[in-house]
Amino acid sequence: MLTIKNLSKHYKGSNKGVTDINLTIEAGDIYAFIGHNGAGKTTTLKCVVGIHGFDEGEILINGVSIKEDPLLCKQQFAYIPDNPDLYEYLTGIQYLNFIADIFEVPVADRERRIEKYADAFGITASLGDLISSYSHGMKQKLAIISAFVHEPKLLILDEPFVGLDPKATVVLKNMMRELCEAGGAIFFSTHVLDVAEKLCNKVAIIKDGVLIRAGKMDEVVKQGESLESIFMEVACDEAN
Amino acid sequence: MKQISNLVKLQLKNLYGINVIRHTTDKKVKKRKLALAVVYAVLAVMICFYMGAAAYGYIALGLAEMVPAYLVMISSLLILFFGIFKAGNVIFQRESYDILCSLPVSQTAIVISRFVRMYVENLLLVCGIMLPGILVYGVMIRPGISFYLIGFIVTVFVPLIPITIATFLGALITAIASRMKHKNLVSVVLSLLLFGGIMLGTSQMKMIEDDFSVEMLQSLSDVVLTLIKSIYPPAIWMGNAMLEGNFVTCLLCVVGGVLVFLVAMAIISMNFHGICRGLYSTSAKHDYQMESLKKESVLSALYKREFKRYFSSSIYVTNTIIGPIMAVIFAAAVLGVGVDQIQQGLGIPLNIKGVIPFLLAGIFSIMTTTCTSISMEGKEWWIVKSLPVKTKDLLDSKILLNLSLFLPFYLVAEVLLTIALKPDLIELLWQLVVPVIMILFSCIFGITVNLKMPVFDWENEVVIVKQSASAMIGGLGGLVIILICMVPVLVAQEAYAGLLKAVICVAVVCVTGLLYKKNNAVNLQEL
Repeated sequence: MLTIKNLSKHYKGSNKGVTDINLTIEAGDIYAFIGHNGAGKTTTLKCVVGIHGFDEGEILINGVSIKEDPLLCKQQFAYIPDNPDLYEYLTGIQYLNFIADIFEVPVADRERRIEKYADAFGITASLGDLISSYSHGMKQKLAIISAFVHEPKLLILDEPFVGLDPKATVVLKNMMRELCEAGGAIFFSTHVLDVAEKLCNKVAIIKDGVLIRAGKMDEVVKQGESLESIFMEVACDEAN
Repeated sequence: MKQISNLVKLQLKNLYGINVIRHTTDKKVKKRKLALAVVYAVLAVMICFYMGAAAYGYIALGLAEMVPAYLVMISSLLILFFGIFKAGNVIFQRESYDILCSLPVSQTAIVISRFVRMYVENLLLVCGIMLPGILVYGVMIRPGISFYLIGFIVTVFVPLIPITIATFLGALITAIASRMKHKNLVSVVLSLLLFGGIMLGTSQMKMIEDDFSVEMLQSLSDVVLTLIKSIYPPAIWMGNAMLEGNFVTCLLCVVGGVLVFLVAMAIISMNFHGICRGLYSTSAKHDYQMESLKKESVLSALYKREFKRYFSSSIYVTNTIIGPIMAVIFAAAVLGVGVDQIQQGLGIPLNIKGVIPFLLAGIFSIMTTTCTSISMEGKEWWIVKSLPVKTKDLLDSKILLNLSLFLPFYLVAEVLLTIALKPDLIELLWQLVVPVIMILFSCIFGITVNLKMPVFDWENEVVIVKQSASAMIGGLGGLVIILICMVPVLVAQEAYAGLLKAVICVAVVCVTGLLYKKNNAVNLQEL
């Protein structure tokens, strides 16, 4: 579904960035991407979705290079950033309809999906209001609905649980599971290690722009250990 | 006082992006900021040169005594004119409002710190106007030391009164708008009415000038000084103080300015939170029920989004709608005055009738929406970048918005010009086609410039709409290029005007096509 080969991206005039990242996300995977602040998670995700260019390597979505055919790649995934800056001058329903238009979702499908997810998140009544009146959590919910409205094969999420209330967190986790059971895949960054351990079948740990662990959750986290202890051991060794 | 100085330091820290230039490690950002600094520097040199030359001209004509008052008046009018449109946005800017409200700082300190920021920005403009004039006056007239001393004091205090007036009017518009349901619309309408008032005032000035008699011309200096006095009396008082070395008058002007400032600040401070709450509050009905949705094409969806974005920003609208309104006023003026009268008044054998379509297009293109439309995406730029949207569709939606905004004004202006000029079929063709080609060029040129100089990490729309390099180059560049195209037609014999227009139009269409193609090939990922 998603293949990242030898990805390197460095910001000009800065030491920040990522170096030689290799990852493969397959259909059915819920892949957690963890690391401390500034480790390179967001940079990697932004390279994957085409927001950032990159210096070296290759990113393939279902075998198509994001550099060579970005439009075809973008038609297959949805992305939610860590801070949902949405069009504040649109109402919630206008924003969702705009996204559905861009992905050319048939009217019946968009109506059904919007109703389903907006009801699940409890924001249907607010869809007629301007996004500028939304709280952070409501914007996050709207961004999630917009990602699911075109039924993407691949979902790229940056800190998706930040700002969500407990009920919405459960709803999102269920939505993620459903998408993967239907043959989709999810690659998301998070600091909530507990959720990552329970929800994901694969995990990657990044430190200072370099991938230090990646693989199946049960291989990375051996029996009797927790993801938190592994993370503290490998990612925070300098701090300790 | 400590609060004010801390907030002022904060406001001034990133004036013109200085703090970003100092601390950014991103070379791209640094380059952009430096490019903007170069644009500002070029503009500053041009202003200095123009004002120095103007002062020299007046002195050479024997009108030396009006130079100081003239300098003060030009400075004040420019500050007032530019200030009215942005003062409300600066004083009541939303950014950092929540944080400041949670801190133990008074609203007076917040208002004054924001005012000081405007003052410093305008002081630089005043220096560019006053100092070259004072220098030229000094070299040619050799006044006493008191002229320079008072000149320095006047330069420092000149911005105070016009900024206060602009701030007060801007605040008034914002305050009225904040109480209305359609805040942006009300703000736009009031700003435009104010602009109309200034224009009307200026036209009244012209009427006085038109009434000059031979006797009056003999004492031109007195006439001009009377004119300045009728527009802005403090300019005369300050000018006289400089000429006469009168420190008392100078001091009175300074005290008067400070008093006006204090009163205005007190009124604004008292209403600050109320206005801010009115502005930032959003009504949420919370009563939506799912209804049937309509499917649009990608281009149509992008265009509708662009349309809503445009009308969501009062400063974006007021800044870009001025051109079309002026174009209609221009066409109405041609109808009112008559082209033959203009031709006779000039007394030079220039092809005025032939260049009117160029002038119309030039006025339309004073500030296109396209030259800042990419930067206006701001923090939401990630959405378009991560969506399967072709560069061409995105840019087309921005061009379409600009063209559809101009269209009703274009039609009205063309009807007025047709009545005024009574063109034959060929002339009518040029009258219709030339503006279309030139406006299309300036829209696409605006996109080209903004693609080269996009800025997304802004906090206040004023920074993009009024102060960005792409607003200056994209907006004024189109106008300048159109005026350059106009010159050959203006000086050519009427028999060759048609041929020249054809050559110019073909050339502009070719350049427009090339720019359009080049723009559409841009990889949005790289912006």
